[in-house]
Amino acid sequence: MTAAVDAPSGGLLSAYDAGEFYCELFGRRGLSHTREIRRRLEALDTAGLRMRARDAERELFNLGITFTVYSKREAIDRILPFDVIPRVLSKQDWEKIEAGVKQRVAAMNLFLHDIYHDEKILKDGVVPVDLVKGNAHYRPEMRDVDVPRGTYIHICGTDIVRDQKGEFCVLEDNGRTPSGVSYVIENRHLMMRTFPDLADGIAIADVDEYGARLMRTLRAVAPKGVSDPNVVLLSPGVFNSAYFEHVFLAREMGAPLVEGRDLVVEKDKVYMRTTAGLEPVHVIYRRINDDFLDPNTFRSDSAIGVAGLFTAYKKGNVTLANAVGTGVADDKAVYAYMPRIIRYYLGEDPVIANVETNICREPEGLAKTLDQLDQLVTKPVGEAGGYGVVIGPKASAKELTGLRNKLKRNPSNYISQPVVQLSVCPTLVGRSVEPRHVDLRPFALTGDQTWVLPGGLSRVALRRGSLVVNSSRGGGSKDTWVLV
Amino acid sequence: MSSLLARFAENIFWLARYLERAENLARIVEINKTYARDNPEGPDWKRILVLYGDTERFAERHEEADARSVLNFYILDRTNPGSIISCITNARENARSVRHLVSTEMWTHLNILRAKIAAFNARDIRPSNLSLTASTIISGCQTFEGIAEGTFFRSEPWSHYHLGKYLERADQTTRILDMGCDRLFIEEGDAVAWVHWNVMLRSVSGYHAFCACHPAATSPHDIADFLLYDADFPRAVVLCATRISERLRDIEVRYCRKRSKSVAVARSELEALLERRRSKKMTAKGLHLHLDRIQKSLAQLSDAIGQAYFNVGPAAG
Repeated sequence: MTAAVDAPSGGLLSAYDAGEFYCELFGRRGLSHTREIRRRLEALDTAGLRMRARDAERELFNLGITFTVYSKREAIDRILPFDVIPRVLSKQDWEKIEAGVKQRVAAMNLFLHDIYHDEKILKDGVVPVDLVKGNAHYRPEMRDVDVPRGTYIHICGTDIVRDQKGEFCVLEDNGRTPSGVSYVIENRHLMMRTFPDLADGIAIADVDEYGARLMRTLRAVAPKGVSDPNVVLLSPGVFNSAYFEHVFLAREMGAPLVEGRDLVVEKDKVYMRTTAGLEPVHVIYRRINDDFLDPNTFRSDSAIGVAGLFTAYKKGNVTLANAVGTGVADDKAVYAYMPRIIRYYLGEDPVIANVETNICREPEGLAKTLDQLDQLVTKPVGEAGGYGVVIGPKASAKELTGLRNKLKRNPSNYISQPVVQLSVCPTLVGRSVEPRHVDLRPFALTGDQTWVLPGGLSRVALRRGSLVVNSSRGGGSKDTWVLV
Repeated sequence: MSSLLARFAENIFWLARYLERAENLARIVEINKTYARDNPEGPDWKRILVLYGDTERFAERHEEADARSVLNFYILDRTNPGSIISCITNARENARSVRHLVSTEMWTHLNILRAKIAAFNARDIRPSNLSLTASTIISGCQTFEGIAEGTFFRSEPWSHYHLGKYLERADQTTRILDMGCDRLFIEEGDAVAWVHWNVMLRSVSGYHAFCACHPAATSPHDIADFLLYDADFPRAVVLCATRISERLRDIEVRYCRKRSKSVAVARSELEALLERRRSKKMTAKGLHLHLDRIQKSLAQLSDAIGQAYFNVGPAAG
């Protein structure tokens, strides 16, 4: 299908052709909810669009919305590339995503509580015991630890893609320290500054309340008996690539942005060092992995953690968000069991389907993977950021041989999935507008109930044909509009 | 009273100090160049090295102290922590740590300023371009000041910002004044000496105010007095000391922070040094020593503030 269906010739989108892929802006036959936006885009030419894009880029540098790449000689500031053509979701699209995300978060929290308490799901044989207990992210230290309101995953990022038929499916859950929400909000601000006329008069769901919602969520999970909790955001520091986001969220929440060295534990209670002396800390939104949280309990070489923090946590004197040990729920192997986990705890079918997944720890999964290696996407289960992912149809014979050997040596470390032909979105590339693949990461907050930020982060693979949207691998982002 | 992390107080203090230092370095570079206008041998760039006690550090990197090497050292050299580019970069790094406490406009301006100065190269420190370069730096720092004045929330961080700014400004004013000390011996009415002192006044944006207040001034001593003791001149040491005292009082009274004995002692020592005394009777050497004592006293006060408000609780680890 081409854009020519209802676009005048010569406009911005006149040469655009999404080919066999589902297009987020056009759908299959020219979506009605995006008609006005398309009309406005058509009224622009690429020179005009490029000018807007340059303005937006300069703004990102000036605002310091950058991550820093350190070389031997100096620190170089980079921006996450921003594409000025928004990704638009209809009200119906959003209702489905919202319901699906809420359902998954509920199931994951119940799952985590269960595996750290009664282990019913393991005893009932729904999920293999060794998959959970042999998991690198399973924390035996969390056994019988009760967390406020039973919430383990306070902040969740669910990676959702749309396949060739236009159906949503979940690619991955991120229940440890998902990042990217700052871009959702900054992208909107940037869009409204550089492209206000595109959205003029169109009702788009607001994203600005995230910070306040996050604060409310974290206050709701304060330790028992604390009526006015002190909430802080714990960051590894300025050298972390997500530091901009930590700053952003601390500002939006109005909470102190602390590092490990600012906190101290005395008599199993956590304090921060202020100009007035030590002050108690009740809730920590930590952007540090479990491993590094507390050198006394986890990695003893951690220089960014706080000695004694885990004991304070275990005694219920401080709440950590997300809880310790959530990595077992967002593991790529456990992911394959999510539909069964949802049915087990909630008695419902998944609102959003999983991508069909072969579990290589299971003989039939391994056999199928080895058999169709050149057609499947194979992923190591313990890696983040798209590292180690091999896309069969695009891999060289040498890569496939290497992967085959690794699979045979350590099958439990892998899953495989059919290649999902991600949907595309018109994207400004050089001097033309071309289809590029996108995904979507909505963010859900859970204290006493779950709220999902309308929209989410739309990441876009800027290289032609690429399906890898990760920022560490040449991805950019777009503003995501949920129409209301 | 909302609490302020000790580390943030320190970051804000240094953010202000580094920017004030960058601005004053640019002023000093500019006056040294102007001083040399009637010196056939050109500016003596070693003076700046002496002024900042950098002679040894400089000698480790350069054989000769000429315009190119000294200006490079103080403006462009990223490996010199005392250069203008290092000061601006450090200011930005400190701001990054407290990004959530400063306004977006402050942060944005600092990004733009840093990018502008990082783009300077050897061409920008040539004699013909130096004035423009210096004024770009000065006005960039001043713009930041204006933005801070108009957008920075007046809570405890603002007090630490002022402490850093005025401690640095007081110190820098004594150094600028020190630039003229060796000229004090020249007899009153000496036209060349007078020109030099006027240059100094202009370099601290004080010429017109001085002329208005002292229409009959004939002695460089009047100018020294003005820079040290005029309570209305924004770069005068005594005005800086007054601001410092006010902010320390805010921290103790408004923000209810513990009163520090060593801060109080250092503060009264500084005030004693600044009790109005005419520098007229002073020899050049006497004034130089006096300036030295003020600098030491400022350093002592800075240390005491650090101990009282930035190092809190049991040692880490």
